[in-house]
Parts: sequence; C-alpha cells; structure tokens
Amino acid sequence: MNGHVKSMHFQQLMETAAALLSLLLVMAVDSTRTVAASRNQECGNSLQQTLKLTRLVQKESVDLIKTYKASQGEMAELFCKVTVADVPDPNISGLEPSERLASISIHLQAFFPHFKRVYEQQTDLQSPTSPLLAELTTVSTRSKNLATLINSFYQSLFPNLPVPEPAGGPTTLPPPQNVFQQKVYGCVVLKTYKELLANVSRELRTLKNKPIYGI
Amino acid sequence: MINSVLLFCLSSELYNHLVITPQSPVLEIGTNFTATCMIINTDEITAKDLYWNLSDITVSNKQYTKINSSSLSVTIPVIGEKHEWLFCFCKEVSNYVYLNRSKFRHGIILTKGYRPGKPENLSCEAVQVKMEISSTITCVWKKVGRSSTDVPTKYTLYVKELGRNHSKETNGNSSQVNLEIFPHHMPMEIWVEAHNKLGRIESGHLSKDADSFVKTNPPSDIKVISEKTFPTSLLINWTHPIAEEYLKLTYQIRFCQNGSQSWTYVPLVDTDKYIQSFRLQNLRPDTVYVIQVCCKNARRGHGYWSNWSTNATMRTPEGSKLTGKPDLWRIITKVDGVNERQVRFITKDPVFANGRIQRFHIKIQDKKDKVKSRSEEWERIPVNRSEADGSSSQREITFLKQIDLADERSVRVYVTAFNSVGESAQASLFIPDKAYDLAPVEGLNLSSHGGQLWLEWKAPKNKAVSEYVVEWAANGWTDWQRENRTTTHTVIKGNLEKFVCYTVSVHPVYSGWTGKPASVQAFVEEGAPLEGPEIVDRKLGRNDVELVWKEIPQDKRRGFITKYTIFYKNGSKTHSVTVPANTTSYTLTSLSGNTRYDAWISASTIGGSARSLNHSFWTLKYGECKRSPRIEMSWLIKENFWPQIPNPGESTIGTWSPHHPVKADTPKENCLSGISVLDVDVCDGKCVFEEDKASLPLKKDKYLSEEHSSGIGGSSCMSSPRQSVSDSDEGGDMADTTASTVQYSSVMASNGYKGQTPSSQPQQAIFSRSESTQPLLDSEENPDMLLQEGSKHSQRFPRQPCFTHTAQNKDSTDPADCHQREMEQQELLEPLDFYPLEEDSEQTTPTEGQSADWLPAAPASSYMPQRGGYRPQ
Repeated sequence: MNGHVKSMHFQQLMETAAALLSLLLVMAVDSTRTVAASRNQECGNSLQQTLKLTRLVQKESVDLIKTYKASQGEMAELFCKVTVADVPDPNISGLEPSERLASISIHLQAFFPHFKRVYEQQTDLQSPTSPLLAELTTVSTRSKNLATLINSFYQSLFPNLPVPEPAGGPTTLPPPQNVFQQKVYGCVVLKTYKELLANVSRELRTLKNKPIYGI
Repeated sequence: MINSVLLFCLSSELYNHLVITPQSPVLEIGTNFTATCMIINTDEITAKDLYWNLSDITVSNKQYTKINSSSLSVTIPVIGEKHEWLFCFCKEVSNYVYLNRSKFRHGIILTKGYRPGKPENLSCEAVQVKMEISSTITCVWKKVGRSSTDVPTKYTLYVKELGRNHSKETNGNSSQVNLEIFPHHMPMEIWVEAHNKLGRIESGHLSKDADSFVKTNPPSDIKVISEKTFPTSLLINWTHPIAEEYLKLTYQIRFCQNGSQSWTYVPLVDTDKYIQSFRLQNLRPDTVYVIQVCCKNARRGHGYWSNWSTNATMRTPEGSKLTGKPDLWRIITKVDGVNERQVRFITKDPVFANGRIQRFHIKIQDKKDKVKSRSEEWERIPVNRSEADGSSSQREITFLKQIDLADERSVRVYVTAFNSVGESAQASLFIPDKAYDLAPVEGLNLSSHGGQLWLEWKAPKNKAVSEYVVEWAANGWTDWQRENRTTTHTVIKGNLEKFVCYTVSVHPVYSGWTGKPASVQAFVEEGAPLEGPEIVDRKLGRNDVELVWKEIPQDKRRGFITKYTIFYKNGSKTHSVTVPANTTSYTLTSLSGNTRYDAWISASTIGGSARSLNHSFWTLKYGECKRSPRIEMSWLIKENFWPQIPNPGESTIGTWSPHHPVKADTPKENCLSGISVLDVDVCDGKCVFEEDKASLPLKKDKYLSEEHSSGIGGSSCMSSPRQSVSDSDEGGDMADTTASTVQYSSVMASNGYKGQTPSSQPQQAIFSRSESTQPLLDSEENPDMLLQEGSKHSQRFPRQPCFTHTAQNKDSTDPADCHQREMEQQELLEPLDFYPLEEDSEQTTPTEGQSADWLPAAPASSYMPQRGGYRPQ
C-alpha cells in the first residue's frame, strides 16, 4: 500500500514536471519564432532598402553613361564597344548566399579606384563645370553608400563571418593611357559597373524571395 | 586640481602669501559655491586673520569655515548672471602685513551661467532642387533653458550617415549640414547637442531613413482633360516631380469651383498610390473647376507633403437636360399717385443648369382672363452669357420683365430656362391683388455674427406655408434664397458686405401666393460713420443755444446711430451732452452770456463715432424773454430812461387789426413793446428812410416822430424816448381823439418779433394799444431831454447788420437768419448805448443796392405792420 502510494506520488510528480517542461518548451519555441520574425522583418527592411539603392545607382549609372558618351565627342559609341583589360569582373561568384553577398561587396569596392581614375582623367578632359564630373562623383559616392549598406546587411545576417575584402589585394589599375585610351577606359568601366549593378539587383531580388533564416 | 594649485602657489611664492582655490571657476546660477583661501610661505598670519569680500562687500563670517590654521573657506550662493570678483583679504595684524598689503590679498573671478537645456522639437528637412533632393539638410529645434552672457550655450547639429558623420555648430536654433549627396535609402541619424562651460546635453535622436526628411516639389505639368462624353468628369494628368528611383510618392488632390475657396479633397485612400493621373467624378456639367495636386514620400509617416501645385483650371462639358427649374422672384414697388404697382420679375438659373443658359421664356397670365390667356404665347428672353459667367459659385440673377400692375389685378407668371440641350421645368409665381394680404411671419429676429446674418422667425398661425423666401436688399440691389416650410431659422448665404444696411425680409409663400413680408434692417458689421452730422441751424440765447442738425445720409452711416454726443467748449473746458439717436436738435443750457463757444456733434454707432465740423457761436449778451429776444434791451431802456416806470399791470392793451378786430389783451410783464421801438430803430428806421416815405399819412419833418406816432392820440408804454417826443410834440390832434385817456399809448405790432419768425404772420398785422390811465412818465413830460437821448439811441444801431453778417456767413441767406444775426449784432453793439457812437457804426449804412435787397426781408416785416396799423386811421 505504502509502496503504491509512494509510486503514485512519484507518478504525480513526474506528470507535473512533464507538464512544466512542455510549457517551457512551448514558450521557448514561441520566443524563438518571435525573435526570428522580428529579425526577419528587420532583414527584409534592410534588403528592401539595399535593393532600392541598387536601383537608384543603376539608374544613375545609365544616366552617367549617356552623359559620358555625350561629352566624349565623336565615336563615343565606338569607345564603349572596345574590350579593356584590368577592369573588374561584373559577375557575382559563390554558391552560398553569404559568398554571393560577399562577392557583391568585393566587386563594388573593386570599382572605387577605377571611378577615381576615370574622374581624374575626365577632369583633364572636361571643363570643371561639366555635368559629367558631378555625375561621376554622385555615382561614386552612391556606390560607396551601396557597398556600406551591403556590408551592413551582410554583417547583420552573418555576424560571425569576417567582413568581405578583396582577396587578391588592391585592385590593379591600368598603366598611363593616351586620351583615346582614357575615353575607352572610362566608358568600359562605367559599362561594366552597370552590368555589375544589374547582377546585384538580380541577386538581391533572389534573396528577397528567400526567408532570411533559411540563408 | 590641488596639485596644480600648489604648483601655482610655489611659482608665485615670491609674490603672494594668499591663494584661492579653485581658480577661475564657472558657476551654475542657483547653486552654492565654496572657495578656500590658503596662507602660504608666511607665519605672520593665521586663518583667523583672513576675511572674504564679494566685489566690495565683505562676506559674513557665518559663511566661513576654518579648514586649518592656514586655510579658510567660504560658501556663497551663486546669484545673478553678472560675473563678480571674490577676494581673500588679510587684516593688517602686523607691520609686515601692512607694508606688504598687496601680498596678502588674492582674488578670483566668478563666471556665472546656466546648465544647457535639452533641445526639443528637432525637425529636419531636405528640399528638392532641380530634379534631385538637395544635399543640404536644414534642421530647426527649440532652445530650452536660459543662457547667460558669460556662459553662452552653443548648439552642434550632428548628422550621421552610415559610415560618415557631419556636424555644425551654431548659437541659434537652426542649422544646415551639407552632405556630399543626399543619401537616399540610407539610414540617417540626426540630433543636436546643447553645450556650454557647465555641461552638454543632446536632444532626442531622429533615426530614420534619409527619405523621411524629404520635401519634394509639387507635381508639375498638371493637365486637366475635359471629355465631351463625360460632362460630370475631368481627367487629371501630371508628371512626377522626381524619379521613382529616388523616391516613391503618394498624391493628394483637391478641387473647387472657380471663385470658391471651399476645397473638396479627394479621399487619400483613392490617391495614396504612385499615380500620374486621376479622374474626378460627380462634377457639375459646364462648371469651371480649379484643381491642385501635392505629393509626399509614399512611405507612411515619412517625409513632408509638398506645397500644392499651381492651379489647373478646366470647365466640365455641357450636360444633357436642365435639372430643376429657375428660381423666379419679383420686386414690387408702389407707384405714387396711381393705384398701380411696378412689378419686376427676376430669376436665378436652375441650380443644375447642366450647361450655359441661353434664354428664358416668360408668360404672364391675368387671373381674371385666365381662360382667354391660355393661348397666350411665351415671351422669349435671350441671355448672352460669356464663358466666364458660369465660373462663379454665385448663381446669376437675370432681369426678365417689368410690368405695371393695377392694385386690384392679380397675375400668375411662368418661367422656363433653356440650355443648348433642352428646357427646364416651369417655375411659377402669383402676384395677388394688393388687398389680398396673406399673413406674414411673426417674431422675425436677426443677428449678426461671424460675418453672417442669422435669422429666425415663427411660422404664421393658421396658415399652411409651402416655403419661405428670404430676401435681402441694399443700395438698389436685391438677392434672395428659398427655405423650406419647416425652416424657422437660417443664415443668409449671399456675399454680404460690411457696413452696408441690408433690409432683410421674410416672405411666406402659400402655394405660390406670396404673403406679406416681415422686414428688419441689419448690418453684417458696423463701423464708424464716414462723416459726422451736419449742424444746420442754431437759435442763440444768452445762456442757451439750440442746435439743429441733419441726419447723416444712409450710405455714410455704416451702422445704426446709437446716440449723438454734443460737445461744446469754452476755452479749454469741454462739456458734453448725450442725446438719443432719434434727436435732431438740442438746447444747450447754462451757458455764459456773451461768450464764444465751439460746438460739435458726434454721431456714434457700435463701430465707432464721427464728429461734425466745429461750429462756433457767441451767446447773447442779454437774455431774451420767451416772447421776445429783446427783453433785455427793453429792460435796459427801462432802467436807464424810465427809472420810475408805473406798473404796466394797471394798463390794458387793446389788440386790433385793421381788418379783424380782436379783443383786448393784458400785457405781459417784461414783454414790453420797447421791442417794437428797437425794431424800428434797427431796420424800420432805415426802411422809413428809404422806402416810400410819402405813403406815411403822418409824415412829419422828423422821421423819428412820424414813424412812431400812434395816430390814436395815446402815447405808448412801449414808446422809446424819441417816440414819446414825437407823440408829445406833434400828436395834438390825436390827443383830442383820445381825450379820456392819458397819452401813454403807442401802436405796436404784435408780431413785432416776427423777424425771428418771419413766416408766422407775415400778412396780418395786429396791433396793440395801451389804454392806460396812468400819468405820463417824467421822460415823456420832458421831451427835450429825451430827444437827445432818443437821437443818440436812434443812431446806435448799424443800418445794415444783415449785409455785414451775410458776408461773414454765406450759409445764412434767408431772412430769418438775417434777422437772427441782426439780433446778435444788436446785442454785441448794446454797450454802445451808453457810450458815444463810433464812426464805424455810422458808416455801415447800406448802399442803395443793398437796401433794395434788404427791403423785402426782415426789416420790412418789423416796420410795415406799424405802417399798416396806422393807415386805417
């Protein structure tokens, strides 16, 4: 009898503990879901803003190429069809979303020295009040903003991964060029950058359709 | 801190034996400050020899704290914003101290201020420049707390982009930060920090997307398209002010009828999209609309609404058929002299004209000839409306026709309106015969507030009213509105002007028959009259004057006159009397005699007052009795020449007329006929000289005696000394005819004062005769003496006072005025009675031409009765 009573007491204790454990588990799962949802919304906003900024830079790049062509004189269309070495690759690499985001960041950063070089070259070729110089500055600055935003987004998603940096060290810039080469180089840089932005935009749209906690 | 102080002490040991810590403190006003004075490098003094001065005042030793034998601290409250010196001094306890006084003192300056307050209400804005958002962000905030001159508070605006920080310092409450480019789609954090020597504090941080601070230009190129097939709709197109990549926008649209300021807003839910066109629906056909559009960041709660775009104006196409009927009304005016009324028919377009009204048709049907008139044709009244006519929100009033309608006739009027598409429903109105009076509304009450006129009334009893017409009229212009049968209060919906007197009438309408109107007058807002009342007349007395004025013309009143205030001034003292608004004359009393007064009248409304021009007058030197203004003079004569005058109460005066015998009347005391004498002297004398002297039956060598001869043998109690001379010298015949009476009678005109009231009895001369049995006066019995006096008397009045006065006052051309002024002149010249006559007064005899003008006027009326009175004898 006593043993039975003891057994019953133990059983009741076990049931209570199981109920409590279940409750705690439910609470924990719910809490995780809330955190995930909140994080998801935050990431969504961040991604949305990054995408908007990418579209803006894309638009400004298109306008910039028009202005560039208009300010280079005759044969401007021809300059842009020539292939030039030492211009960063516009294609995004990597398999995982983290790798592809890192690739975006690295590629964007790789263009900054080229923008600087084009600006310097065009400063010699254009009048100081040329809209081309202003637009070059705008696109360059906007691109830095985009790179900052992507880095920030990357860090918020992958806080334990290192900040993406170009693997091969500083970008290689072309050797001194004549005016024709400068004009060709400038156009190729801008065109390639536009391609990169198109790829970035596509990549971000792809990311947008995936749940972030699934990345 | 202590170390640095000690270091300072050591470095300055050669110079000073006292040092205060802390050095150059900045203190917060309202706190307590403690300073410590230390004695260094000397044993000459101890802490008990020290004392503190705040500027020139020694601080009470109750505020001292002895730290040790060489240190004394003081605690003082920090009051006032002005900086002060705090000194540590030493009493001259030894010769050394005395001789080295400069080494035994030390001072610090206390700089005072307030801690900075946390800035509030920070807001920042970046506006659009050309096709982009400016890279300059402008922020404003509210300063909080006080700032002293010595410790000014500065503000630093911080703008933090992702990866870049910007800041700018200012003393004011606004600042601008220039960024390289406007960071669209980037997070941004903005705050302002207030700081001074006492501390620093940050405002709340604005951490938002950069586009939250954007205010774009309004949409441009707004085009409104009117489509013939949609008469109640307009299509609006516009261009985004900025590219979508920069900012996605949401829009807001408002519209109103041209000329109206009452905007209708399209619900935001319909336009809260990134759209470039919108169709307005349920508009009125053929109506000009004004449309505006504005925009803001589409993200809810982000960004500022742009300004409204410029007006885009378009008329909706004409609609199909007219809806409703014309609003027919009439204005009835009485025609003087005949039993007719002048009736003018006016109308307003139907509320929903759905197009431009091209013509009206009117038919007037006599009620008596109803059957006969059925076949009457409609009269066509074309109207020529311009494009702009329909643009006003006010319905146009069209005059249709005017008829003269006999009082006993009644007619029924029918009117229809036509637009380009069709005809409206028929409006009709009965004009009953004049005798057919339908009950008016009761208790009509009108009030004005908020720039509008509000009416309320009670429905007529026992009558079924079908509707009411509220009519308002001013300056020959009439408008009206209709109210339904249950309405008993309303507001006038027309555009009413301030300071205009409106006659507002409520007409009950009984199934088309218009009842008797109830009317009131009202102003939307009252103002001060444009001009004061005009003083048109005055009646002078010795101690009083009656002023008469004209009402201000209606169009210049600008309000209801509530009162008149009469101001009159003698010297520097101004008196005033307030009289009711319905008064147009007033007698000022208790004035000083022979004194100049300036008077003016101020008319008041509740909106202010306006005063008349200044009116100056002299009160008479001598008072007037009720019947005669010259009683004073008479009294003077009496006093001077007849000191022992018998009681005239014992005499009787016979009054008669050459044509109408009248009964005898008892003379009234003080109203002596000496007045008559004076009249003769002043004007009649002249008249005698210059008129037909031959016509005087008793013409003698001396005019003086002739003119006053009674012709009935009695000497007049009213006679002047001259008259008495005349009577006694040459009136022997007459004495015979009145043997039983003492010669103490004189003929006088009972209207001898009619110079004042020339129109009262100008034709009928009535004379009074004394029938006294009393003895003659001494003066009468000594004519020689009186002759002298009389001669003097006869000369003392100017012969042409009217002319001289007329020249002074061109306004007074009528005989009454003339006479009045003559009276004044007499009063002014009265003192001459007792002094030798001045040459000037003699030289004022009128010329022939003047006399000719003069004769028919007042003097004639003074003199002629005597002549006429005499003639029948």
